[in-house]
Amino acid sequence: MLDPISGVSNAAAAGSAPETLLAPSRGASPAAAGDAGADFGSFLAQLAGNTVSTLKAGEATALAGVRGQATTQQVVEAVMTSEQTLQTAIAIRDKVVSAFLEVSRMSI
Amino acid sequence: MYDPLRVALKVGASGLEAQSKRLRVVSENLANAQSTASTPGGDPYTRKVVTFENEVDEALGASLVKVAGIERHRTPYRIEHNPSHPAADANGYVKLPNVDIVSEVADMQEANRSYEANLQVIKQARELIAMTIDLLRSN
Amino acid sequence: MSVIHLFDIVSRQNRWLSVRQSTIAGNIANANTPGYKALDVEPFEKALELTRLSMNSTHAGHLAESGARTSTVEAANSSSWDVTHSGNSVSIEQELINAGEVNRAYRLNTSIAKAFHRMILASAKV
Repeated sequence: MLDPISGVSNAAAAGSAPETLLAPSRGASPAAAGDAGADFGSFLAQLAGNTVSTLKAGEATALAGVRGQATTQQVVEAVMTSEQTLQTAIAIRDKVVSAFLEVSRMSI
Repeated sequence: MYDPLRVALKVGASGLEAQSKRLRVVSENLANAQSTASTPGGDPYTRKVVTFENEVDEALGASLVKVAGIERHRTPYRIEHNPSHPAADANGYVKLPNVDIVSEVADMQEANRSYEANLQVIKQARELIAMTIDLLRSN
Repeated sequence: MSVIHLFDIVSRQNRWLSVRQSTIAGNIANANTPGYKALDVEPFEKALELTRLSMNSTHAGHLAESGARTSTVEAANSSSWDVTHSGNSVSIEQELINAGEVNRAYRLNTSIAKAFHRMILASAKV
């Protein structure tokens, strides 16, 4: 059910994005950011891609549910997964945007 | 429709229907427990019984029940000596229905019990579905 | 990954419980059918093992079959509450007890899933 979230977390080289957000004090973020070969830009691109595909899958399942072709549990799980993935992606996006603004405000 | 909970609803409903038919037949038997023939020497009301059958829907994985038929129960009639009765035969014997009131009442109680159990199954399946949907509520 | 693993287990158990519910429904509906033997689902641990093997290759967005692989087996008639000469082995009391167990477990699972879902959403609101 939560494979899309693990997809997001696979994009982050070390550990899962949700768990990173859950425990920032555990020092997981520095490890993720500084991992050898993991380009942060490509991580964000993958995150965006995974989020979109999760949401699309969730939408498809919900539609199937409305048509009576999916079970109630499948629909509920898909919606929950979409909610979690979207919320996580939004949080990451907000952090990235605020970090970017911070950097842009630095005096040259 | 392979949603097991919805299948449970359908199966429970088939159980309700089957038990209702059974109850109807039992009440017919009880109502006609003393019904004799109208012609002399004729046969009286014959006890009816339902036969249940298991109907399996492989695609849904549903094990439904249905009433295969309502048959006449072939046990001997009760005989009473009552020459003045309109249905008395040449020797004054009247044939009475082969309905035993005590066992009919027991059957009725059994049918009620089964009906209640099926109802319980339906209620619970409905509750489980509601619990699942409730996951999406925000409180 | 522990939280994600939890969601997976809870989801699978609820699917298994749903199949059990429909099996119980079939038993109760056929409580008076001659020759009918009460069925029960295989234990959850066993079902978990089998689905783990078959689910490895499914894509995340694929609508997996829900509980279709939980097979039903003939229930071991350990305590013969009802021994009828019609060959029917259903005990309504036992079925209702099992139904109560399904209810309890399902309720627990959905509560757990809801709680952890809330936690994940709350944690992403930094």
